[in-house]
Amino acid sequence: MSSFAPEHPLPFQYDAALEETLTDLTSLLSDSYRLTRRAVALLLLQEDPEILAMVREVEGERFAVIEERLKAARARTDQPLDVAISLQRHTTVRAVTERVVSHPPQTRPSPTEYLGRLCMSPLTGIPILMLVLWFGLYQFVGIFGGGTLVGLLEERLFGEIINPWMTARVESLIPWRWLSDLFVGEYGIWTLGITYAVALVFPIVGTFFLAFSVLEDTGYFPRLAMLIDRLFKRIGLNGKAVIPIVLGFGCDTMATIVTRILETRRERIIATFLLSLAIPCSAQIGLMTALLAGHPRAFMVWVGIMAGIFLIIGWLTAKLLPGEAARFTMEIPPLRLPSLSNIAVKTLARMQWYFLEVLPLFVIASIVIWIGQLTGLFDLVIRMLTPVVHLLGLPDKASEAFLFGFFRRDYGAAGLERIKEQLNVNQLLVSVVTLTIFLPCVAQFLMMKKERGMKMALMMAGFIFPFALIVGIVLNQLLKILPIKL
Amino acid sequence: MTRIPFFDIVRDAMRGAKRTQTDAVESKAGEAEETPRRRVMIVGNPNVGKSVLFNRLTGHYMVVSNYPGTTVEVARGRMRLGETLYEVVDTPGMYSLRPLSEEERVGRALILNEAADAVLHVADAKNLERMLPFTLQLIEAGLPVILVVNMMDEAERIGVKIDMEALQDAVGVPVVGTAVLSGRGLEELRNAIDEFIRSRTPAAVSV
Repeated sequence: MSSFAPEHPLPFQYDAALEETLTDLTSLLSDSYRLTRRAVALLLLQEDPEILAMVREVEGERFAVIEERLKAARARTDQPLDVAISLQRHTTVRAVTERVVSHPPQTRPSPTEYLGRLCMSPLTGIPILMLVLWFGLYQFVGIFGGGTLVGLLEERLFGEIINPWMTARVESLIPWRWLSDLFVGEYGIWTLGITYAVALVFPIVGTFFLAFSVLEDTGYFPRLAMLIDRLFKRIGLNGKAVIPIVLGFGCDTMATIVTRILETRRERIIATFLLSLAIPCSAQIGLMTALLAGHPRAFMVWVGIMAGIFLIIGWLTAKLLPGEAARFTMEIPPLRLPSLSNIAVKTLARMQWYFLEVLPLFVIASIVIWIGQLTGLFDLVIRMLTPVVHLLGLPDKASEAFLFGFFRRDYGAAGLERIKEQLNVNQLLVSVVTLTIFLPCVAQFLMMKKERGMKMALMMAGFIFPFALIVGIVLNQLLKILPIKL
Repeated sequence: MTRIPFFDIVRDAMRGAKRTQTDAVESKAGEAEETPRRRVMIVGNPNVGKSVLFNRLTGHYMVVSNYPGTTVEVARGRMRLGETLYEVVDTPGMYSLRPLSEEERVGRALILNEAADAVLHVADAKNLERMLPFTLQLIEAGLPVILVVNMMDEAERIGVKIDMEALQDAVGVPVVGTAVLSGRGLEELRNAIDEFIRSRTPAAVSV
């Protein structure tokens, strides 16, 4: 096992006391480690549990002596040994870098650097974030993508031209109503699946991904992560958790995988939980925004409620989590003007990714609903959901959207889009908030199961769905009692 | 290059999960008879270009993330230098030999359990002061370290100058300056690995 690892002539030394301890410890260790005895001794002094276990196993009876020496060494210093060791390493390194590295003289920050800093400081960063949300998300994705483009595509192109023609053709080809419904019925593969995907999801998700790529290319996101990191620290959460959380705005399912970078199981559980509860993914943000487009106050209330839930749940879980800040550093690239080719490539790649994932699902959903309708199961489930939907102050028709929402939040949002005209703004807000709190999608649940185990995934889902409904019901009551008309 | 492939990190994590299987298939198809006789391990902080270096050395395509801490799984590939076939191992990001996260534990487990003929410590030239403590630990641990000072182009752009010879004298291991994204210094690094391994007593590798 120890075929190499000659004792290198070291380019540096620790202080006399530490060197003495090291000499003592190395003389007690056997020569059967992949690392040098000196490195093993240092790791022992730093109380590395794995190394302790390894040495205990390798040294057998002699471990008692080693343990005793370690205890004595720890008692001799007033500074924790791991701190002392890393400080001394740092001193050595600084002596080297001072000789070897030369830095440019400090210059005044350039305007872009200054702007970059403004994005990160909470005082200015939060208003900037609001502006980005307002113009990038609400105006561009919601009003332009969800309003103008969807109007053109869904209502004009599909609603008035393609679908009537398609329906007529299919119905003349297939004389049986029950079968033609599979393709062009209310929930048909063409009239629901393809129409949703192409006419509804495409313009909204497309504009969202475009806005997202522009922001990404300017270098805004690392700054946003820094800003959220600072807020995280305020509420006492580990800063590293910001990475999966910010990623969740792209895709919760994949962000759940990224929670692996967190240090403890507990942190991973909290991050997974927050992701599935309060972070809408890219497609969902787009569609939810599109639903609320034209109702700026409702949009702001939605953003506010989601931020509130996130902070409260984050704070509560942080209370349960002993607060230990992890080392967290992030390279912040300079702000710059986005490049057109970069944006085009990224936007197209994302749309392709989303489409490949979503189109088959929409088609499958159409088929499942068709079977459900033939067997009467669909109506049964809808009838079961209706009382719940009534509690939310919504009309019967909304049950379908919520049924869809169990599978994917964005699918549910697309379902709401269909009945948008029948809802007032309050109802729209209640349904959007409730849906946002739902689990993101079936894939998310499967990933939770894979990463956190079936029990944990079920517990989280068991909390999230009732919680979503309760928030919706409370919101509905509040709007009624106060009474607020958005 | 300073763009942040925000989505790439996500895709990367996904690919990471699948990578092991792909590798197994590829190695079966590609180099059926030959097993690598040497091993090179790439270590270093997150976000310093380990995965790009891995791709450049092995020619094995993989999407590279620019976010800290995302090389969650271990990537393995192959590289040929002269007549020798190497296994190249890309380890998860590590800040020190004393692991604090699951990823770091994986990284150290690799160092502990798999003998390497060369350990490439990839460091960010812009931030040597933060990188070198880990180099010291690797040297201290008796590992066959080559220090790869990466992102030289970015460092130069912001006016950071590094005296490579003086650095090599100070740390006592080979030092190579690179900018792996643009391919700069790669040839020099390959030569350095080759020379380094020749100069050392052969290690028994069991792949």
